[in-house]
Amino acid sequence: MSLWHAARARFRALSDDGRADAELSEEIRFHIDTETAKNVRLGMSPDEARRMAVAHFGGVQRVREDHRDVRRLKWIEDFVADARFALRTMRRTPALVFAAIVVLALGIGANVAIFSAVNAVVLQPLPFPAANRLMMIGEDNPEKKWHLQVAAPANLLDWRASVADFEDVTGYFEGVGNATLTGRGEPQVLNRSGVMGNFFSTLGVRPALGRGFTFDESFENGTHVAILSDRAWRTYFGADPAIVGQSIVLNGVTFQVVGVMPPGFSFPQEGIDLWRPMEWSQDYRASVGFRRAHSLRTIARLKPNATMEHANAQLQAVVSRLKHDYPATNRVMGASMLPLHDWLIGDTRLPLLVLLTSVAFLLLIACANVGNLLLVRAAGREREASLRLALGAGRGRLVRQALAESGVLATLGGGIGLMVGWAATRALVRLQPDGMLRVRDFGVDMTVVAYVLGITLVSALIFGVAPALWMRHRSPAESLKEGGRGAALGRHGRRWAEVLVVSEVALALVMTVGAGLLVRSFLALRDVNPGFDPRGVLVVHVGLNSKYDTEEKAATFMTQLEERARALPGVTSVGQAMNVPFTGATYTSDFIAFGRPEGDYGTEVSHAIVSPSYFATMRVPLVRGRVFTDEDRRGTPATIVINDALARSYFRGQDPVGQRIAFDKVPTDKSQWYTIVGVVGNEHVTALDAAPPIEVYHNVVQEPSDFMEFVLRTNGPPAALASPMRRLVQELDPSLTLLKVTTMDELRDRSLARMRFLTVLLLAFAIVGLALSVVGVYGVLAQTARNRTREMGIRLALGAQSTDVRWLVVRDGLRLTLAGLGIGLVVAMLGTQTMTKLLFHVVPRDPATLSAVAAILALTSVVAAWIPARNASRADPVSALRAD
Amino acid sequence: MAAHDQFDLLRGTLDLLILKTLTLESMHGWGIGARIEQFSKGALDVNQGSLYPALQRLEQKGWIESEWRTTDQNRRAKYYRLTASGRKAVGAETSTWRKYVLAVEAILATESA
Repeated sequence: MSLWHAARARFRALSDDGRADAELSEEIRFHIDTETAKNVRLGMSPDEARRMAVAHFGGVQRVREDHRDVRRLKWIEDFVADARFALRTMRRTPALVFAAIVVLALGIGANVAIFSAVNAVVLQPLPFPAANRLMMIGEDNPEKKWHLQVAAPANLLDWRASVADFEDVTGYFEGVGNATLTGRGEPQVLNRSGVMGNFFSTLGVRPALGRGFTFDESFENGTHVAILSDRAWRTYFGADPAIVGQSIVLNGVTFQVVGVMPPGFSFPQEGIDLWRPMEWSQDYRASVGFRRAHSLRTIARLKPNATMEHANAQLQAVVSRLKHDYPATNRVMGASMLPLHDWLIGDTRLPLLVLLTSVAFLLLIACANVGNLLLVRAAGREREASLRLALGAGRGRLVRQALAESGVLATLGGGIGLMVGWAATRALVRLQPDGMLRVRDFGVDMTVVAYVLGITLVSALIFGVAPALWMRHRSPAESLKEGGRGAALGRHGRRWAEVLVVSEVALALVMTVGAGLLVRSFLALRDVNPGFDPRGVLVVHVGLNSKYDTEEKAATFMTQLEERARALPGVTSVGQAMNVPFTGATYTSDFIAFGRPEGDYGTEVSHAIVSPSYFATMRVPLVRGRVFTDEDRRGTPATIVINDALARSYFRGQDPVGQRIAFDKVPTDKSQWYTIVGVVGNEHVTALDAAPPIEVYHNVVQEPSDFMEFVLRTNGPPAALASPMRRLVQELDPSLTLLKVTTMDELRDRSLARMRFLTVLLLAFAIVGLALSVVGVYGVLAQTARNRTREMGIRLALGAQSTDVRWLVVRDGLRLTLAGLGIGLVVAMLGTQTMTKLLFHVVPRDPATLSAVAAILALTSVVAAWIPARNASRADPVSALRAD
Repeated sequence: MAAHDQFDLLRGTLDLLILKTLTLESMHGWGIGARIEQFSKGALDVNQGSLYPALQRLEQKGWIESEWRTTDQNRRAKYYRLTASGRKAVGAETSTWRKYVLAVEAILATESA
């Protein structure tokens, strides 16, 4: 292989310059001796012979230097020279170089930011020892369409006891609760997480101070214990190490602090202040509810040598046994298992993939643009190149020089891109809505830097290869034939430029279609009627403490607060609900109407508890019957309001009003029957993109609760009511603090936040991509139009109309754009399928989006073509012909 | 030998001549120079010094290889040998050269007409 020889010769020359010199000296000595001998044979005297030999040879020193030059001026020295040359020539076209670097830095920066997120969320392992042995287990119930649902405690304990491959199994509540800390200055609201005693040991995390919980502390034993997070320890307890062993008062109950977790640990959610064990009572443990209340997220740790398959087989065996042993609760209850990391990544994988694809396309477009710039510039140096070729410069040398230029550009672009990316990553961390990514905080680490190096190199190859290949195919003769005009790309170069532009347009189309689909989804989502009127509503979470130990005390307080709140200036209406939409607090059950045959039950009805004025305050429309009135009191027959979805799905064709309903699969003597008094419109309780669930509303007057959300409707800005409401609660009971105050609009916005964030990012990338591709189209057309100035001049001189000439250029633009659009549409149709899960009320191949995006691109390209077209049509025939 | 009958080598042709010479047998630098002069019957004057950078260049292209051997006179000399790709290159370069000559010849023919 010649490449091999070449490399070896160069390597030898480089590695041993001295030896090569010595060898050359010996060669020259041999040569001159031989020549001398020949001259002697021809009859010269030895002195004469040697003198002639040396003369004939020429300057020994010059030969040495030439030889050395051939040896050295290759490889590294060439590279340095090329890079220096590149920098020097770049200084001659600063605007162009600046544009190229900015474009590259933006493309690389966007990639850095998105890749940092991918790296933190997907690539980095969980921050637990041997995290690959941690598994998420969830319950499956085909009848209720459950998959990986939270588990019943009794089932969890059976898995823990019976699956030999599990080292330990633990559970926790998914949500974070609130607790008011008193007795240490101002009352403080803390975020608390309920966990089983073996939670920390199963994860493999040890407290920084004190001890973790024990498994037995999952059950009631007369004392209450808590573990603080590092943040809470510093914020509320002055980082006092003596806190371990001390007592603190939460909601009026005394807890002993047994430990403080290390900094940064906040699992299962961000912002947890303290953990407390379940404290299940022995009565509860013995009750059927223990196997019925599906409430625990479950994590198992596999034994070191266990495989997931084997453990899962064991788990399935236990699940089958439980089905058999507890038919009432477990008849159709399955369980499945997957690595905890996979589960935690869950639905962030797809948005990240879409974002990563989008920024990759952006970078490709940026590369294509830079490639075009370089191509145009190389054409500008056509003469120089031909001249150097004619003078004997190696063609490879010219190609390498083109590559060196792209290398220098890529290095600068990559360096600045890394800085841009670092800033963008900070912005991404700061701006991401809650729950967007699993990891709240992330940055640029070595993996990201390696990635940047990789993509920079790939970019340089992509945009450097076109001009380099073009150089390779140039011959001096060809460039002479083309007239040595200032900056002619030539047939070959133009084809390269066109390939680049067509790819740019295709990529931009795919990006824009993706963004367009999300925009349409987002608009559809925003326009979903939530079933209530969220504008002008303040939401106040009121939680009572241990003082309110009977339902009467709680009811009295809540009623009093509602009445006083109604009297606040600006308040038009006040209601209460145990689960306001979008707060995620709800529970579901089975149900059956009175008189239905056995088996004709329904499942998964959501429960809400509301005060009578809730419906009026939220403007939930009444469909049939009535809402609660003063007639529905404690002691009168239990009444209930259902939503339209339940009325339509379960009471098909019948009038539900007046019927009775119980929340059991099979009613018993103990079943509580509720009389349905009215049907109201459907509220989107969980999220705007989820269909409203079937739902029942209990009456808080008949079923008091010690924590409620108050909803206050006002004419003015709802946030202005926050402080009056706070004062009101303090007046009624100084030991209470308001836990959370927000507005209904804010809750609604928050449920849109993820979608909005993703949409805005994708749209921004798409707009940049689109702009770059249009600039690309413009650049190539301007170039070709300039090359054809002479032709245009002749055409005009021969009587062509300027519109004809304009059309020639615009047609070129359209041809390129249409080719790009065609390819782009095919790719988009194939690719957007993967986005299906992100879309809302829009199909992946939405014709409206596809045609709108194609039209936008076509239109902008025509505009981009118009400027060079106009210039060409204004060509003055005389000066155009003289332009050489 | 009159001065006007002797030509300086055009750049690029030296490489071809070296390659051509090496197709016969492997040879040392002096031998190559002597052979070229001999074949051209003295018409081509090889600047012997320029042989060595050219040889180095060809070696880097992978067209020739070198090794130290002992001559008949029992002296160490560096011998050059054509490689497989070098053999191919001779063919390509030769035909390029022929075309070049024909082209130049064609132009000269028209001018004299």
